[in-house]
Amino acid sequence: MALDVETRPSVNGVTVLAPMGRLDVAGAPALKEAIGEAVKNGTPKVVIDMEGVSFVDSTGLGSVIAALKQIRGSQGELRLAAPNQQVRVVLELTTLDRVFPYYATVEEALTGF
Amino acid sequence: MGSNRFEFRASLSNLEEGLDVLHRSVERLRRATGRGADDRPLMLFETALGEIGSNVLTHGRPAGSSRPVEYALRLDGATVVASLSDSGPPVHEHLSREMPVPESEDGRGLAMARSLLDDLGYERDGNVNRWRLVKRL
Repeated sequence: MALDVETRPSVNGVTVLAPMGRLDVAGAPALKEAIGEAVKNGTPKVVIDMEGVSFVDSTGLGSVIAALKQIRGSQGELRLAAPNQQVRVVLELTTLDRVFPYYATVEEALTGF
Repeated sequence: MGSNRFEFRASLSNLEEGLDVLHRSVERLRRATGRGADDRPLMLFETALGEIGSNVLTHGRPAGSSRPVEYALRLDGATVVASLSDSGPPVHEHLSREMPVPESEDGRGLAMARSLLDDLGYERDGNVNRWRLVKRL
């Protein structure tokens, strides 16, 4: 099952990326590519809408960390929205919840961004 | 009330399809035992299985080897056990790896699996790696 990533039209300089499927070793390259495109197009404020992500593994998580570094390198910011229970458990287990502020909904993530 | 006996076997020879099979097997176990999608012990087990499974499917089929990864999942009472065997290089030196710093992009898989399971067994048997993942549900 490949990961599909929808890039929603940028609003107020914020791009929302919505991956659908498993963000694992097989799906991570698709997210990396979408992040690369968003940064290249000059929108270093990115929200990843995790609602459609059913499962994340450490490689998928690595792709989000790579995205964070890339975006911060462009003086931007990355927020995660609507992670499911499995994604939250993995973020907490790896203490990455301290690195990624995550929001219950995309609307919350966009507030004050 | 669901069953407390379950058995699933498969030979895996492709990363993406192999991962699909691993997740599908857990989904079947979930249905067979009447557990919901939010059942925490099974979700933690599936997370660990995803980690070991992706390592094995990535590194356990060396170039030139047509030998598939052998996978079995069974439920014995309230304990779920997954076994995976592959013909990749030995991995002893990776087993004790600690969780890396948050900024690191890789190296978390084994540390995650260890902390999510009741037992993560590994042995080198001739030219084969044998993994055993155990979780009480």
